[in-house]
Amino acid sequence: MNAVSPIVKAASRAAGLDLRGVTKSFGSVDVLHGIDLSIAGGEFVVFVGPSGCGKSTLLRLIAGLEEVSAGAITIGGRDVTDLDPSRRGIAMVFQSYALYPHMSVAGNMGFGLKMAGRPAAEIAATIHAAADILHLTPLLDRRPGQLSGGQRQRVAIGRAIVRDPDVFLFDEPLSNLDAELRVEMRIEIARLHRKLGNTMIYVTHDQTEAMTLADTIVVLRAGRIEQVGAPARLYDDPDNLFVAGFIGSPKMNVLPARRVAGGVEIGGHVLAAPPLASAPPDGPAIQLGIRPEHLRPARSGEPSLPFTIEVTEFLGGTTWLYGKVAGDIPLVIEGLRGSTPVAGTRLAVTADPADMRLFDQAGTRLR
Amino acid sequence: MTRAAEPSLPDRARPRRSGIPLHAALFHLTAAVVAALFLAPIVLVVLASLRPASEAGAPPLPPWPTTGLSTESYGRLEAFGDGLLHYAGNSLFVALGTTILTILVSVLAGYGFSRFRFPMKKLAFVLILSTIMIPFQSILTPLFLILAKLGLQNTLTGLILLYATLQLPFSVFMMRNAFDAVPKEIEEAARVDGVTGLRMLVFVMGPLILPGIVSVGLFAFLNAWNEFLAALVLLTDQSRYTLPVLMNAVRSGRYGAVDWGAVQAGVTVMMIPCLLLFLTLQRFYIRGLTAGAVK
Ligand SMILES: Nc1ncnc2c1ncn2[C@@H]1O[C@H](COP(=O)(O)OP(=O)(O)OP(=O)(O)O)[C@@H](O)[C@H]1O
Ligand SMILES: [Mg+2]
Repeated sequence: MNAVSPIVKAASRAAGLDLRGVTKSFGSVDVLHGIDLSIAGGEFVVFVGPSGCGKSTLLRLIAGLEEVSAGAITIGGRDVTDLDPSRRGIAMVFQSYALYPHMSVAGNMGFGLKMAGRPAAEIAATIHAAADILHLTPLLDRRPGQLSGGQRQRVAIGRAIVRDPDVFLFDEPLSNLDAELRVEMRIEIARLHRKLGNTMIYVTHDQTEAMTLADTIVVLRAGRIEQVGAPARLYDDPDNLFVAGFIGSPKMNVLPARRVAGGVEIGGHVLAAPPLASAPPDGPAIQLGIRPEHLRPARSGEPSLPFTIEVTEFLGGTTWLYGKVAGDIPLVIEGLRGSTPVAGTRLAVTADPADMRLFDQAGTRLR
Repeated sequence: MTRAAEPSLPDRARPRRSGIPLHAALFHLTAAVVAALFLAPIVLVVLASLRPASEAGAPPLPPWPTTGLSTESYGRLEAFGDGLLHYAGNSLFVALGTTILTILVSVLAGYGFSRFRFPMKKLAFVLILSTIMIPFQSILTPLFLILAKLGLQNTLTGLILLYATLQLPFSVFMMRNAFDAVPKEIEEAARVDGVTGLRMLVFVMGPLILPGIVSVGLFAFLNAWNEFLAALVLLTDQSRYTLPVLMNAVRSGRYGAVDWGAVQAGVTVMMIPCLLLFLTLQRFYIRGLTAGAVK
């Protein structure tokens, strides 16, 4: 019965979304500074960024809950900049669920259709199709107050599905759930995206959610887009130190370094470095980024950095070794499986040039 | 009847002499005394209203009938002017009118103050609230003059307008708080669902602020139902009297004697709607309706 469900969208029919110079100020405070972004139909896009960077604001502008100060928003080729939220073809899932507490689960899900004056039979059919997808059928007569957090969030998602939107908007939908439930719901949302094929935009703080759910991650900082790209692209090929540091856990190591003939010099030790297409504009001082899992013990005779372990973190699958390198530059490396290093151990570590990322003093990537 | 259950039987059958702890007994005793204190006036009034006519002129102590029960007092009350039902109708009209008008205006104003941004909002709100501090008796004369100018003196409609005005500052305050307590996201979810304007107020906000509406309505009804001074000043035509004014008129019986029986009968009648309202509506302002909405 799901196969013929009216709410399953063929990916080809899913609407894309375009933001052109979208700007938002609250009074004299500029929150978003000219956001340009194109989202393809059926894409799962995740907005990430530090708290207060404007993720929610951008989502609310797309939803139409806030008015843009300047710029235009098109959904499925239609300019929706001045349309009401209900006429933009969007549905939104709020962090706080925002269910109507006085209505049953079925009432919550069908409220939009009821307000639109659709026939009762159609409303019931749509509610049941959505409840079926989300395993909510046994709960349809309950009130939100009688549901667990996870169930409430499923109802909120169900309410969004029932609207049959072109674009789903999620604002940190899982952050009120406990860790285990969050993983469960994350998988459920991924499954939902696969099944419905709609465009989805998802705001989160959680790296894992961003990395696992997204086709495309948009990294925001202080109201500007820092980088847009697939999770692997942002991880492997960050445009700047901010993105490099934001994606990945533990963070990418950043070492102050100097470009010298034949490589980079860190605290007096020289490693081979990747070639640059052009010399950095502001002198030889640069910043060297290496992810913890790319650092390895050096073979004898290989150029390396002296590393002293201070703290080890055993996480089951991996062990993170925290310590100091080349004097007192903090560094994290991934421990080898099977070895049991102790604090105080000294290692000679190195990395392949292909795994090194160079940044200038301002944090912009050098390629 | 398994063996394992047997040992508990004699234990349960044993009389629990020391079962009620002292603090529970004290609690019940205190509660009973307080309840009696609150119920006593009601009981005394009802008993006094049942004193026969021969006792009616007698001093009000003791307040209960000493020579048998009688409903004569109610008869005398009914015989006054246009009859009890007519005056009860007047009072009901004024109280309901005040309630409806107060609810309508305070809900709209509370919604505005809670959800919209407009110039001088804070100042306007403080001004509205500050009128609570003015004793209305002190502005009764100007109010009377204004109503007279509007041709509303000696009318029940004028009285409704007056009561609603006096009731509004507090009611607007209450309703703003009720709206403030509704999470913004619920409203936003409704906007996404295509609900705007008045339908938002009725279908989404309405049920959530119902406890506030009930409180405001209850206060408006009771205050209008019981108000005496303004009604006495404003109403000159005997057929327009509300119940409190009627009580005053009934009190002064023939030859300067006070007809206590009729007064007590009137008070008893006046209590009925108040008690009914409280009993039927109390659960509304106790129950929190927003449970489960967010978080
Ligand atoms: N209604 C408002 N009036 C004034 N400033 C606002 C308003 N809404 C948001 N802001 C400001 O805009 C900035 C961005 O807020 P926004 O809620 O979009 O951040 P966010 O990225 O979603 O943060 P978080 O991750 O904490 O949810 C913040 O500095 C916030 O103070
Ligand atoms: Mg946010």
